[in-house]
Amino acid sequence: MTLEIGQVPSPVLRPPATVMDLQRLGALSSTRLSFSRSLIRKMGRQRWQIVRAKFDLDELGYGEAIYRIQTPYARYHVVIFAKALADSERSDRVIAEAWDLTFGLVEGDVEASLMASLAENVPLQEAGRQHPQLLVISRANRSVRNFSACVDSLSAGQQPAIELLKTAGYLYRTTAVYGNGKFGIADYRQLKENPDFRHPFSAQMCAVYVLRQFSIDQVEHIAQCRSDRATTLIDPVRRYVGIGNSTGLGMAPFLINHPLLINQWVHMRETALSLAKQQIPNEISQHELIVLVTRVLQSMKNLAVEDAEQASRNQEVTEQLELVRIWLQQVAAEDDLWLQLTDWAEAALSLETQELINALLIELYPDQVDFLEDAMSVEEAFDLVPDMPLVQLRQLIETHFDWALNERFNTEDGQYWFWYRSVEKEEPRLGIRHVDKGVEKELALAIGPRIQHTHQSINDYLDESPTSLTIDYLMAQPREVDIIRRIQTMASSAYGEIRANLWHRDMKPMHLLRAKLSFLGASRFDPRGDRWVRVTFFQGAPLLSELNAEPTDLSAFDDWSFPVCPEQPNTSIPQP
Amino acid sequence: MKVSFNELESLSRKAFIGMGFSDGQAVDAADMLCWMESLGFEGLKALSDALAQYSLEHPHAPAERLYQDTDVTVLDAHNASVLACSHLPLELTFAKARARGLSILKIRRCRQRQLIMGYLARLANRGMNITAFWRNSQQPLTEQVVGFRANSSVPSIRIYAVSEVPEETQENTGISIVMANHVDLLPTMRSDYEYNLLAKHDEAELLDARSQSGSRGITVDDALWATLNQFAKLTLVESTGNSRLGAGPAD
Repeated sequence: MTLEIGQVPSPVLRPPATVMDLQRLGALSSTRLSFSRSLIRKMGRQRWQIVRAKFDLDELGYGEAIYRIQTPYARYHVVIFAKALADSERSDRVIAEAWDLTFGLVEGDVEASLMASLAENVPLQEAGRQHPQLLVISRANRSVRNFSACVDSLSAGQQPAIELLKTAGYLYRTTAVYGNGKFGIADYRQLKENPDFRHPFSAQMCAVYVLRQFSIDQVEHIAQCRSDRATTLIDPVRRYVGIGNSTGLGMAPFLINHPLLINQWVHMRETALSLAKQQIPNEISQHELIVLVTRVLQSMKNLAVEDAEQASRNQEVTEQLELVRIWLQQVAAEDDLWLQLTDWAEAALSLETQELINALLIELYPDQVDFLEDAMSVEEAFDLVPDMPLVQLRQLIETHFDWALNERFNTEDGQYWFWYRSVEKEEPRLGIRHVDKGVEKELALAIGPRIQHTHQSINDYLDESPTSLTIDYLMAQPREVDIIRRIQTMASSAYGEIRANLWHRDMKPMHLLRAKLSFLGASRFDPRGDRWVRVTFFQGAPLLSELNAEPTDLSAFDDWSFPVCPEQPNTSIPQP
Repeated sequence: MKVSFNELESLSRKAFIGMGFSDGQAVDAADMLCWMESLGFEGLKALSDALAQYSLEHPHAPAERLYQDTDVTVLDAHNASVLACSHLPLELTFAKARARGLSILKIRRCRQRQLIMGYLARLANRGMNITAFWRNSQQPLTEQVVGFRANSSVPSIRIYAVSEVPEETQENTGISIVMANHVDLLPTMRSDYEYNLLAKHDEAELLDARSQSGSRGITVDDALWATLNQFAKLTLVESTGNSRLGAGPAD
């Protein structure tokens, strides 16, 4: 039984103190509202057509390729440049200057003069002057082990060892995917009215999705050039190939500098969770959840991550999810079954298990939650309210930013790190306060200490001028205008501020990265220390051939998360 | 060279921080600049002038308050750019107009006054009627009036030359701003004295210009871009082998 439109009660959302805890944000799973999921649904629903328009590669797979995207509204092209790269040059760092391939998503057609400009500049990435017809530029490095093994197997007429795709579910991993005007490409404001890519990061997701197809096409091409016996990947294996991504601290400032957007994303996710939890379960939905949990368990058992701590957490999730499955199989479908489940999870299960269960509950109710994907954008305006009485501003701080007032920022551990940008490609880095150079150029990413400082300063000012306005205070303390604008704006946005001391010695930037990556739709989180993570996108997603077939049954475009590894094909497949 | 709006906003903001602006001041200054460019006005030319007049050794001091009561504020900016001296005085005037119905701000001796329109647009968007007036040059003497309707993001602008004015020897690099809660302050030319209308921009025309602008990038002088980069680099920390570890081992 579901609630009818018009009967949906006001959702009761989890408190921001729970949701915006950094450790919990670092345990988030992707949901059906994540941007890669929304994009694939839309592509299927609108019958996008994506075809290979150019595939000019040599026998080693180096050269140029173009994929044409036709939507109901417009035409785009993904242009790819693949070249030889010495192993010693292969780096996922922002400071790298060469990659196995570079690519871009172009709005409109690619005329010869544009192609010449792209060929000259896209391979240079940050060092190039990019064309304003580009909506996205990016680069990717091979998973050397997977790529070579895949080519070797296909050349020998065999399917690759599936075990390899369990350790890294991709042939290429992107190392930065740039949009919004970077290095001369089109501004995001141009996309706001674009029916194809007005959702956040949808253009970036689209470019990455097409790259996945190229990675498959390229290994098959190389294998066929190498041997007459070569075969192609079978579709179940192709589907299990995703695109990797390697993300570092560069992503962290985004979450701090866009609190209104983060608030919107989290608010929609929490709304979806609340709506799902309010649905009255029945035997059908209970069975659907059991099926989903079973698939997730199988998917996670297929997952081999290198990071020992993450492997341990995954093991814990698997064990706890097995208990959840047994529980679901035993209990009756009572009206409050979902609440029983989430209450139990909150009380007894790990953060990752809790958030995974939340994602699965959301998964059950597309009709109730999918409309929220259209509400993921927001105008980011921080306006001052200059005539707000200063006592009211103080009250706002004490009401909504108590988490910052309760922190101790003056201890050695409490102010251990500082954030800065390096002169090397402006790479964000962490320095140790009182040890490393550059503290005078610290980025103001730690919001907590600024709020606490401002609160104290306002208290002092009010002692002298108890009836003053915010603007009176700012005329005396002009450098505080940005933090006060932020306080006034975010006081009415529950989920914008990450409640953590980003200076603290125990702070893990990884949590920031995972939070954003989960909204993008990443899976298979495999950290490399506290500051880098490798993830996979689009593993299990339908293939271009399935999209181009314009199927009437769109279930494969809706339900492809947590893919189960295909059985190892043990026979060679004849060339079609 | 061609750059995107995001690049212009991002680099100019970093450059302003490198010049010693506070983070909030830098955001506002970059926003004022981009607003001008979004309407096809010469924001970059004004920025270029501002940078030429700026000295890292002698950064702009805050504007000096010459007079203030509940309705009127008079400041002396000591020849600083409006990018550096105007945002908080404008907020003060906004607050006074909210409380009193109408308020007046006079900033004496300030530069690149046309850039102030970007911040006025933000205040107008917050429901304030605004008019700004300044004189541009002495030969011929030209005056500019900019009026924003409440909740409109683009102004009406009149620029005209006047000849029948009493002789004045004092340099006038000030700007006068009036804000009113409830009264439309759009400029309408009406005078018994001779004037020559040089430019007239109305809201519809500017809205159209904004929708057309920047779709294929903004043209920026290479030297100006290099100067902005130089200032922006002042916000970056030198790299060392040890500092590279501050991003964590990625490979």
